[in-house]
Amino acid sequence: MIRIAFAGKGGSGKSSISGTFARLLARTDRPVLAVDSDPLPGMAYSLGIPVDDRPAPDDVVVEGPEGGPRWVLRPGLDAGGFIDQYAEAGPDGVRYLQFGNSWGHWSTLQRGQHAWSQVVKEMDPNAWNVVGDLPGGTRQAMFGWAKYADVLAIVAEPTPKSIQVAKRLRNITKADWSPDHVVVVANRVSGPEDVRRISDALERPVIGAVPDDPAVTAADKQAVAPLNGGAGPFVDAVAELVTQVESTYDLDIRSSD
Amino acid sequence: MLSSVPHTDTVIVADLEAGIGTLTRLPEQAVEHTLVIVEPTPRSIDVGKRAVQVATERAQGNITVVANKVADDEDNERVRSAFAEFKVVTVPTDPVVIKADRQGVSPVDIDAEAPAVAAIGKLVNLLG
Repeated sequence: MIRIAFAGKGGSGKSSISGTFARLLARTDRPVLAVDSDPLPGMAYSLGIPVDDRPAPDDVVVEGPEGGPRWVLRPGLDAGGFIDQYAEAGPDGVRYLQFGNSWGHWSTLQRGQHAWSQVVKEMDPNAWNVVGDLPGGTRQAMFGWAKYADVLAIVAEPTPKSIQVAKRLRNITKADWSPDHVVVVANRVSGPEDVRRISDALERPVIGAVPDDPAVTAADKQAVAPLNGGAGPFVDAVAELVTQVESTYDLDIRSSD
Repeated sequence: MLSSVPHTDTVIVADLEAGIGTLTRLPEQAVEHTLVIVEPTPRSIDVGKRAVQVATERAQGNITVVANKVADDEDNERVRSAFAEFKVVTVPTDPVVIKADRQGVSPVDIDAEAPAVAAIGKLVNLLG
């Protein structure tokens, strides 16, 4: 099973890449769960799911035990059951889980966050390939919100600001929690020079080079998924990224098991 | 820190983190003007509407919407119609800004007459 989370600076293209990645992975006949931990979620757009704010109902959780989490899944509801009932069904068979939008009431969002965290922690690791989209910046990654992932993909654009955030994310390997693999995806690149610039700055190989594709911008404006908006070069690059991540598993994770 | 800076002679320009997190934590009436930067995409407009709502509820001064990366009239209209009750200032898509981003320098230092820079200059005058 592939379990990958995408992180990077806000606006670096995480949502577009992660949503497209999830759908292309699902097209290889794998069960895919897309998980969005952004309180202003954007992954639904890139998946092509017309859901902006779809928290689970308040009554999926009950107050947690003394000294434990504030909210826990109600008795009789486990992670698998939660996904069956509340994960949105999307194109290519992808299921999509968000914890709600900060448009909603804060207490609802808190309940949703707790439910979401418990579900991604306790779900059957052999049931789903997981593709996650983190909010921009470093906070969630550093605080362990992507513990479900064994690959952290840092999305970086060829700009100093984006690379600076990527460098900080790279330091996750020194944090208390760290994924098995940290890989770099270069986005909106104009050519090999941009890829080299990112690779050199981060001192890591770039496993995916995604070109600047005007069709993605056009799709964003229409709230259409890149896969439905005719984004050719972008989709081709993400398809290649899927292959690269698969080979990462074949070569590294499997051999380290 | 912001609340301790004297307001008399110092203009403070704050760049808040993406989303609305900082805006929800600012004390009420902390600023005189709030500029909500919006791109002409549904997702950006959604976040912008939420920011406008929070800034209004918390009395964060005059609210101006800045439509950024506007490529054409359709983009402009998309933002203006979403924020019909607010003043909207348009900043066009500009290769100079992209170039500056890539070089890590200010767009002003590349071309002070560039369309995006000129539009931001008008915004400064509007606030002044």
